[in-house]
Amino acid sequence: MESTTTSVPKSDADNWENFRDEDTMQQQSAILAEEAEKIPFIGDKEPISALAVEYQSGSPILMQKIKVLDEQYSSIRRTRGDGNCFFRSFMFSYLEHILETQDKVEVDRITVNVEECKKTLQNLGYADFIFEDFFALFLEQLESVIQGKDTSISHNELVTRSRDQSISDYVVMFFRFVTSGEIQKRSEFFEPFILGLTNSTVDQFCKSSVEPMGEESDHVHITALSDALGVPIRVVYLDRSSCDTGGISVTMIFYTPSNACRLALTLAREDGSDLTRPYMD
Amino acid sequence: MQASRARLFKEYKEVQREKSADPDIQLVCDDSNIFKWTALIKGPSETPYEGGVFQLVFAVPEQYPLQPPQVRFLTKIFHPNVHFKTGEICLDILKNAWSPAWTLQSVCRAIIALMAHPEPDSPLNCDSGNLLRSGDVRGYQSMARMYTRLAASPKIG
Repeated sequence: MESTTTSVPKSDADNWENFRDEDTMQQQSAILAEEAEKIPFIGDKEPISALAVEYQSGSPILMQKIKVLDEQYSSIRRTRGDGNCFFRSFMFSYLEHILETQDKVEVDRITVNVEECKKTLQNLGYADFIFEDFFALFLEQLESVIQGKDTSISHNELVTRSRDQSISDYVVMFFRFVTSGEIQKRSEFFEPFILGLTNSTVDQFCKSSVEPMGEESDHVHITALSDALGVPIRVVYLDRSSCDTGGISVTMIFYTPSNACRLALTLAREDGSDLTRPYMD
Repeated sequence: MQASRARLFKEYKEVQREKSADPDIQLVCDDSNIFKWTALIKGPSETPYEGGVFQLVFAVPEQYPLQPPQVRFLTKIFHPNVHFKTGEICLDILKNAWSPAWTLQSVCRAIIALMAHPEPDSPLNCDSGNLLRSGDVRGYQSMARMYTRLAASPKIG
């Protein structure tokens, strides 16, 4: 029978072999590593026809929809289906857009929104140290895609960074904090949507379905992120649904914040696990 | 590694600053290793753990705060969600519901809340879980109280 109160032999404290949690975690990270070898966070550009090859033996509706997409977009990038795919593809899309356009007005605009998001979190009672590292890393990436500075990066470097877990995960967390803050700030607006999704309170939803890494994004997340940052997002659903009228069209959902001015594109497959980024022709 | 160290250092400063804010939690960082922490938490009142002081040990991974700290009880405790031998804790925020919004301090608060509100349907200690599930609240409470006295009560003299 143990009779210790607070002092336990140090050897016991260090004895983590008995700790089964560690096994679970190791197994989990092994699975993730295996998955990582199959597809990077952000894939290379592929023609839309690559999707058609994949679905060749699948539903004819999907094949027709892929054809429709092929007429509208030139290429896609796949993202890893690890539950963070929406945020990772948004990060890449947005930063690539800034890198290509060198739109400093947009950078200034979003910087103001990011500052606003920070205040939102502070008002909600989040201590600065909880989120500031994630905010700083995003702003650093945003700064670096603007050319002509010592810290500027090339398109290749942006791809490399987007595949670097230490950067990508931090930016994903930045978006998760922004999303969570926006949902909580406008909880009255989001509450009915959240009830429809999960039957939980706004608070619980943010804690369990927004802030943890690997939690899939749904329309609530996308709306909140789009609104908070003031960036419109288009999601294309490649599913088996067909139109009553007989014609095939691809469901596109536009998330348009009131102060919209830029375009980021994402494309979701039916299972939602695999977001790809199409390029406009 | 660098990021986790920086974050833990901020948490350390916060703990020093707010020392008196939460008298039920005493969180201490190892002198030589910022990835190792221990905590003393007070058993919540109106529970069989009242009057007890329980020691937790934290091992913080290098990917912290993207990954959760590993926490277990060093002090023996009879609770449905704590492994009786290893002290391992079954708590969602230490597994898949973890997020960097949590801190070592708030994890301690969550563990205190778990002590007050056991979840007998996901037991790590089946004996304890079964007592609660079969409605033998008295049996559970007296076992838990006995272990609080034996293992978690400051010795007199």
